[in-house]
Amino acid sequence: MIRNASTPSWLLESETGAFPYSCSGRRRRGGAVEKTLNGLAKVVRQALLSEELAARNGLLQRLDARAKLPGVLALLIAVGLVRHIPVLLGLYALTLVLAAASRIGLCWFVKRVWLFIPLFTGVVVAPAMFSFVTPGEIVLPLGHWFGHEVGLTRQGLTSAGLIISRVATSISLVLLLTLTTSWPRLLSALRALLVPRLLVLVLGMAYRYLFVLLDAVSEMVTARKARTVAGGKDGRGARAVAGFSGGALFGKAHSLSEEIHQAMLARGYRGEARTLERLGFRVADTAWLAACLLLAVVTVGGDRALGI
Amino acid sequence: MRSGSEPLLSVEGVSYSYLERYCALEDVSFEVARGERLALLGANGCGKSTLLKILAGLIFPDRGSYAAFGEQVNEEKLEDEQFSNGFRSRVGFVFQNADAQVFSPTAREEIAFGPLQLGLDGDEIEARIEDVTAMLEIGDLAERAPYQLSAGQKKRVAIASVLVMNPELLLFDEPTAGLDPRTRHWLLELMVELGRAGKTIVFASHDLAELEWIADRCLVLSEDHRRLGDAAPAEILADRDLLLQANLVHEHTHRHGSLVHGHGHERGHHG
Repeated sequence: MIRNASTPSWLLESETGAFPYSCSGRRRRGGAVEKTLNGLAKVVRQALLSEELAARNGLLQRLDARAKLPGVLALLIAVGLVRHIPVLLGLYALTLVLAAASRIGLCWFVKRVWLFIPLFTGVVVAPAMFSFVTPGEIVLPLGHWFGHEVGLTRQGLTSAGLIISRVATSISLVLLLTLTTSWPRLLSALRALLVPRLLVLVLGMAYRYLFVLLDAVSEMVTARKARTVAGGKDGRGARAVAGFSGGALFGKAHSLSEEIHQAMLARGYRGEARTLERLGFRVADTAWLAACLLLAVVTVGGDRALGI
Repeated sequence: MRSGSEPLLSVEGVSYSYLERYCALEDVSFEVARGERLALLGANGCGKSTLLKILAGLIFPDRGSYAAFGEQVNEEKLEDEQFSNGFRSRVGFVFQNADAQVFSPTAREEIAFGPLQLGLDGDEIEARIEDVTAMLEIGDLAERAPYQLSAGQKKRVAIASVLVMNPELLLFDEPTAGLDPRTRHWLLELMVELGRAGKTIVFASHDLAELEWIADRCLVLSEDHRRLGDAAPAEILADRDLLLQANLVHEHTHRHGSLVHGHGHERGHHG
């Protein structure tokens, strides 16, 4: 193309004096832009770490996801039905053994599980420990309120301990499954559990395009950072930019989805998804599944035998 | 078009507008012979991608008609399962944006997608995947997720996902856009080889440098979305006025043999 428009004269001159090119000693704190970029990088790092762990040569990594998923599900059901803390602690110890056998760093694994507990479960179970929610034998008095003694009750603490140990064991089991299984294998396991193919296809695509859209967001945020000269604290301006970026991202996602649909149609997709199934159950997979089912039954049965 | 041969594709007076407002093609007609390699040339936004999508039966013209393999192709006919399978198995489309095409969790599943939809047998699919991944040198990438692939690797997976269906007609939208020189050359060589094997290839491009190597014929689209020229690459490249009109070169561009290059306004030597 031939350029007919002329270049403005100011563009042909160098920009001088707008900002001094030296340090003033005043530091600028990273704002929302840095936080967004760090957050995005964290998501990608997390995904890469999961892939790396899933590729290690450990016990659970060697098992077929189609055996692993139902096995873990059986154990999760057992954890949900167990009513004794020692039994739950036994199952939790088993998750630690499995983590170690799967070459997952124990410290890291434990930290990752217990990071969730105070944040989510702690808030929910904390009131249950007090006598005004769960009446019973007060083991830690905290004072008096309207003439009644207030404190932590044995029954409340037991309930809280039960819930916390149940949540910790459940999270550990789910983490073991997701950390030792790559996403595609997890999807194939879902297919084996008769989850509708279309749903599995949508899940697979959602995860796949999460990274494409993360890239788009990262580029938008980086482009904004590159052009941010004077860092102000204009909340309204920042919100407006976030709004524009959201709109632009929605537009991108929409046109991408249209192209993806066309790419599917071009290769014969007619509304019914057909996917690659590769069967290859080995003895170890069957043994794992049988062991999990047996353990689940024995645990629940043993727990019932211990009484309430 | 090659004389004396039955046209594989026949486009007659095709017009297309997006949202019934933005014209993308206006009264375009041409034919493509079996085994021919046709380059669609034109500046950005002239309608090349739209034309390829019409040839792939993904969108349908507002006016005019399109026939492929001796049959009219339209929305109603593509709703017929047998016709749709027949058409889709014969036409392969490599999109410009590999991210749009590579949508499955792994490269292997991506390559298997097309044959699975067409109902090919499982063992046959596995064998084809092995062959095509070996041919495109992506065997070690088969279990990788798309986000773990570079742009060039994703392009290879996208091409593999089309070639595995062994289509007669291959449509490439800006095949070399965004690729590094080595991958670009690899892809052009592959297109030449596929052409030699008798595949009909239609590709969109605005790159003139390798035209004579990879195309038998060029169809030039103007910026007002009409057919501007239709001739052999050498003839098109020699027609400076046509290239200027199509906005494919600027007035400071010229040729040295098959090499087209340009230089700046102020410089008197080659840029």
